[in-house]
Amino acid sequence: MFPIYKKELHSFFFTPFAYALTTLFLLLFTYMISGKVANIDSPIAHFSYTEVFYNVIIYFIFLIPIMTMRTFSDERKLGTEVLLMTSPVSVLKIVIAKFLANVTVFLFMIAGTSVFPILTEHYGSVVYSQLICAYIGFFCWGTMFICVGMLISSFVESSIIAAIIGEMIMFAFLFLDDFANSGFISQYPKLQSVLYSFAAQPRFAYFSAGFIRLSDIVFFASAIIVLLSWTYISIEKRRWKRG
Amino acid sequence: MITIENLTKFYGKHRAVNDISFTINDNEILGFLGPNGAGKSTTMNMITGYLPMSAGKVVINGVDITQDPVKAKRDIGYLPEIPPVYPDMKVKEYLNFCAGLKRVPLGKKRDEVKRVMELLKITDVSGKLIRNLSKGYKQRVGFAQALIGNPKFLILDEPTVGLDPNQVIEVRKIIRDLKKDHSVIFSSHILSEVSEVCDRVVIINKGDIRAIDTIENLEKSFNSQLVLHIKVKGNKTTAASIIEMTKGIKEITAIDDEGSDIYSFTVDLDGDADAIRNVLMAELLKNQVTILEIYTDKPNLENVFIELVNRPVKKNTLKELLEEMAPAEDAAESDGSSEEKEEK
Repeated sequence: MFPIYKKELHSFFFTPFAYALTTLFLLLFTYMISGKVANIDSPIAHFSYTEVFYNVIIYFIFLIPIMTMRTFSDERKLGTEVLLMTSPVSVLKIVIAKFLANVTVFLFMIAGTSVFPILTEHYGSVVYSQLICAYIGFFCWGTMFICVGMLISSFVESSIIAAIIGEMIMFAFLFLDDFANSGFISQYPKLQSVLYSFAAQPRFAYFSAGFIRLSDIVFFASAIIVLLSWTYISIEKRRWKRG
Repeated sequence: MITIENLTKFYGKHRAVNDISFTINDNEILGFLGPNGAGKSTTMNMITGYLPMSAGKVVINGVDITQDPVKAKRDIGYLPEIPPVYPDMKVKEYLNFCAGLKRVPLGKKRDEVKRVMELLKITDVSGKLIRNLSKGYKQRVGFAQALIGNPKFLILDEPTVGLDPNQVIEVRKIIRDLKKDHSVIFSSHILSEVSEVCDRVVIINKGDIRAIDTIENLEKSFNSQLVLHIKVKGNKTTAASIIEMTKGIKEITAIDDEGSDIYSFTVDLDGDADAIRNVLMAELLKNQVTILEIYTDKPNLENVFIELVNRPVKKNTLKELLEEMAPAEDAAESDGSSEEKEEK
């Protein structure tokens, strides 16, 4: 398992891939922050990191699929899937190793943002409890979507298509709560509550407001487990189906 | 030992591999021969555990590949048709990764990678990115990957495709050397290559086994039918009658008129070729027939292979098949028409 994890990290960090992705993310993050800081003198200005995180999520639906698109589709395209499948490593371990590698890159991206609280601390004060909650929420949210991206990557052979489908699904997920709250759906309260319980956005909002709720943690954890299992099944199923 | 029992694979409704069984003994090179699309790669993919089988069993050293895949796969080194290499990695990095994947202990990793690189002569490209290597080198890197960890069984899917003649000879030599402490399954669609390297050969077409036999038997069956070619200048009837009268000549299969009194005869032999040739030459010269050319030839191996592969019937040994082929050819026309009638 460890060699696959190492190889995945290698393919991220020994190529410009991880750095380009992190730079793009930090650029967006800086843009959000500087926009907020620039308006700080206006009477209605309100600045908090949690809010920045909340706003930055919309950009993240484009970044995560790009990160995960190659996970399985590239192996298939290069024919290296055979190497992994015929070596003494179980498919489940392959999935977990790749998942951990993607999470590591994600952590690397988040770690880059820590420069802003440090700067703020230098000139003022930071509410750490809220900040940590926001980071945990952001991490849970991102990890869940990494699993979605991996699942899509296990379905298709082209990584570009994996990225596009991933973006569409994440886009749908992002607005699931808005959709559930729309006038049409609110006519059916049961449907609304079902849809709403699948929405990741409001749960993230709780985190960024400084709450760590058990139900949210359980939601993200179970989503991650279900999606990873599904990825595993999809890979096994493909082997059974085709040549 | 690898035992393959009643292995079957369906792709949807299409039956790619049909109920095949054979074994690979220890320290043996088994040739796996068949035209493209015969089911060679599918069978190899099933033996290595990459593809699940629709029915049947593959047992590697007493371990069923579906029951305990991780344990069974430890004994296997596999070189698929397309070498499974990462273009963004350097050769050495890639082999290190493979060593980890195949659970080579950390302390032995460096020596193991060095060993396979030296064996396949890729030490000089160890620092190069795989994407920049030529096809021959990529193939060798893929081969090195299969050898890492010194697995007992090596499964090589067309390892010499895409190599230049020098490299082909080198790779064949490596495979022969591997026999000392490995068993090798080696697939190819080139009969001469298989006969050069392998001890035993499995011939497969359209998912069915057509023959399993040793190379000795295979060659014996081919050598027993020598063909003599004679080109003469002179009287056609005289030459033909002399040739026909000579002892040990089975029959004249073809006479070509090449103009200006030159004729070439193709003759089937039955007996010692050298003796027959000497007698024949003496007789022809005595009768003032000029000999322009005379040589014996084995029947075209590739043609025999094509014949074999296209036989509809399943036979156990090659000999049985060849025996059946001989009379069938004699009466090809009548047989063909009667079969057609029967079918109707």
